[in-house]
Amino acid sequence: MNPTDTKTMQSATADPDSADAAAPAMIEVENLDFFYGQAQALHDVSIRIPANKVTAFIGPSGCGKSTLLRCFNRMNDLIDVARIDAGRIKIHGVDIHHADVDVIALRRQVGMVFQKSNPFPKSIYENITYGLQIQGVKDRKQLDEVVEKSLRGAALWDEVKDRLHTSGLGLSGGQQQRLCIARAIAVEPSIILMDEPCSALDPIATSKVEELIQQLKTKYTIVIVTHNMQQAGRCSDQTAFFYLGKLIEYSKTEKIFTNPAQKQTEDYITGRFG
Amino acid sequence: MSPTPSPSARPISEALLNRNRFRFLGLTPGEIIKYFFNGNAVVAIVVLALITIFLFREGAGFFGQNMQNLRIYRLAGLEYVDFIRRQVDEHTAMNRALNESRLAQFNRLTAAGRTVEEVNTALAPFDAFATAFGDSVEDVRGVLSDLTEVATAIKQKDQVNRDRLEQKAMLLGAGKSDEADKITVTPVDFAKETVTLKGTFPACQAANQQFAGKLQAALATAPAMPEAKLQKQIDTVQAQAQALIASLPEIERQMQEWKHDAPIPLSRSFTSFLFGRQWLTASFWQDWYGIIPLFVGSLLVSIIALTIAVPLGVSAAIYVSEIASVREKNFIKPCIEFISAIPSVVLGFFGIAMLGTALRALSQVSWLSWFPGFPMSERLNSLTAGCLLALMAVPTIFSLAEDALNNVPKHFKEASYALGANRFQTIVRILVPASLSGIISAILLGFGRVIGETMVVLLCAGNRIAIPNFTEGLGAFFQPVHTMTGIIAQEMGEVVTGSIHYRALFMVGIVLFLLSLGINYVAQLIVRRYRISIG
Repeated sequence: MNPTDTKTMQSATADPDSADAAAPAMIEVENLDFFYGQAQALHDVSIRIPANKVTAFIGPSGCGKSTLLRCFNRMNDLIDVARIDAGRIKIHGVDIHHADVDVIALRRQVGMVFQKSNPFPKSIYENITYGLQIQGVKDRKQLDEVVEKSLRGAALWDEVKDRLHTSGLGLSGGQQQRLCIARAIAVEPSIILMDEPCSALDPIATSKVEELIQQLKTKYTIVIVTHNMQQAGRCSDQTAFFYLGKLIEYSKTEKIFTNPAQKQTEDYITGRFG
Repeated sequence: MSPTPSPSARPISEALLNRNRFRFLGLTPGEIIKYFFNGNAVVAIVVLALITIFLFREGAGFFGQNMQNLRIYRLAGLEYVDFIRRQVDEHTAMNRALNESRLAQFNRLTAAGRTVEEVNTALAPFDAFATAFGDSVEDVRGVLSDLTEVATAIKQKDQVNRDRLEQKAMLLGAGKSDEADKITVTPVDFAKETVTLKGTFPACQAANQQFAGKLQAALATAPAMPEAKLQKQIDTVQAQAQALIASLPEIERQMQEWKHDAPIPLSRSFTSFLFGRQWLTASFWQDWYGIIPLFVGSLLVSIIALTIAVPLGVSAAIYVSEIASVREKNFIKPCIEFISAIPSVVLGFFGIAMLGTALRALSQVSWLSWFPGFPMSERLNSLTAGCLLALMAVPTIFSLAEDALNNVPKHFKEASYALGANRFQTIVRILVPASLSGIISAILLGFGRVIGETMVVLLCAGNRIAIPNFTEGLGAFFQPVHTMTGIIAQEMGEVVTGSIHYRALFMVGIVLFLLSLGINYVAQLIVRRYRISIG
């Protein structure tokens, strides 16, 4: 990439689109450099993610989109060799690596849904209430309410209301993934991160989860990593394209898919590589 | 490719049909390799089968011989004599309690600053009581000694006959029938012999009456004790003595009904082994092969070992798999695994030279005397052995529990952290429950390791063949025991091949074998279930 490209990319990043400049930014990333040991996974990434919108991260495998996603709730802290060399991430305007930030409180604000559905080997009920019980909530009535609300929120209530106390592992793949979403919204976060939530699901289960994403965005800010460009096109408002650890282009989804500013973006979207 | 055969076509077809490949004994190299590995696997299985068969073949003869042993016990009238012996034994035990009580009183008074003479004067009433108590059994003891002689004589006569028969069979086998004919064997007429024994019944009855009377009189003179604890001891003796007196008529009835030729049920041969509370060998009177004291010893030592090893091993596994940094992990893991490289005899040596002495010294510290069973009377006891066995079980439990924890899929952990759980909550609520079956099987295998260990218990458990006195509560853990493994190692070298004692040791070995087999089987079963539940 030549210097001029980088410059245009930078300017595009700082202000993705005139329409979104007005929307308040939920997540702000400034010049982030991220390393796994000696290997640099993210190069000087800056991005502003608006509230109550669905933002999709696309790009070929290994381009750093999941790494960036995991920076938002500091899941990378669990990896010994992971480190951030430069740059800042702000959520609600707070630098999440500030010494006073409680990582546990951060993760309660920033929920996460993983690629492989991962309900705990516990009952459906216990899966939903886990996040509250570790906060010390014991009131049975309150827990019951949260379970119903979360399951309804994840469009799963009607399917499982009669078997709340059976194992979460007994559900189908799509149901398990919606259970994980229900589990994430039970602790009432403001942001939900989704790391390829539909990659292991069949088309019907996928469409249900996508529908759910549309419902959820009225209440939550959603960031979704996906390999499926149709999915990004269908359910996101903004799309960011990453390549080799760099943010190549970030814009409104229609613009990215119809009139990308960068050659690489166009090549990737039209399937010439990736 | 040209359709005409090229010069190289011929060699290729020849190479395809090579009939001159290397063969050894008609086998191709591939087959040789296959049979080599196959053979090794077969050898392992055959050896296992041979060991099992040998164990059971040698052990199985025990029940026949034990039956014979029990039959002689009854035929020769030893059983009859033991009715009386039991009274004397019980009385002796009570007498010992009285002696201990006197010692305690003596110590108490000298500690209060009295001189020896003063103390002896003060204890005179007690001494009078103790002497009367001790003398009360004299009549019964006399009868017992006479009867013992008679019964032993009968048993010996039988033994001589048996030896002669054996010799005769041997001579006949060697073809020396002349010499064999010279050996005369007259079978012992047990009916006639035991008449003498039964004839003493009136004398026994009289002795019992004397005993009961004297004992009762002696008990009436029991002085009051100056301390509640001592008084309690004396009260216990009183109660025991009264129970003994009350049981006398019942014993007499049993003696009257006793018959030398009453049939012994076959099951007795099994039950006297499996539930026998006495392991008594090379005795002048009667040998008993009951596994209970050894079994209880093994179990007690194992329980102590696991009580120590399970928290240590599992916590270390949790620390290493979840909390430790890479550097700590690389230091701790080899260290713990290195423990299993220490030869058990070295550990045993350490136990005798250091740990036993240190534990006893600790138990004698005065401000710990409130602890039940302290101070310990023996340096080598179940606790000493249990501590060392714990050390040996830690690596097993640690390694397997760590594997189980590492096998918990990473995404469970991530999901928990992503919901805002801290490390402790993730470990306690997610990781440990998810790997619980693996941890349980680790504990079971640790148990298997501990119960099969020999050298440490042989050196450090104290080797007293007795069921620990559980009425002492925790004190039972500080008593010397003998174990199943220890007894085999200790006695197998000295026994005559094919004797009942030899076969009894094999039976102990079989029990151990089955126990280990069961533990391993259950552990595998749990692991298999665990795999299914995660997958």
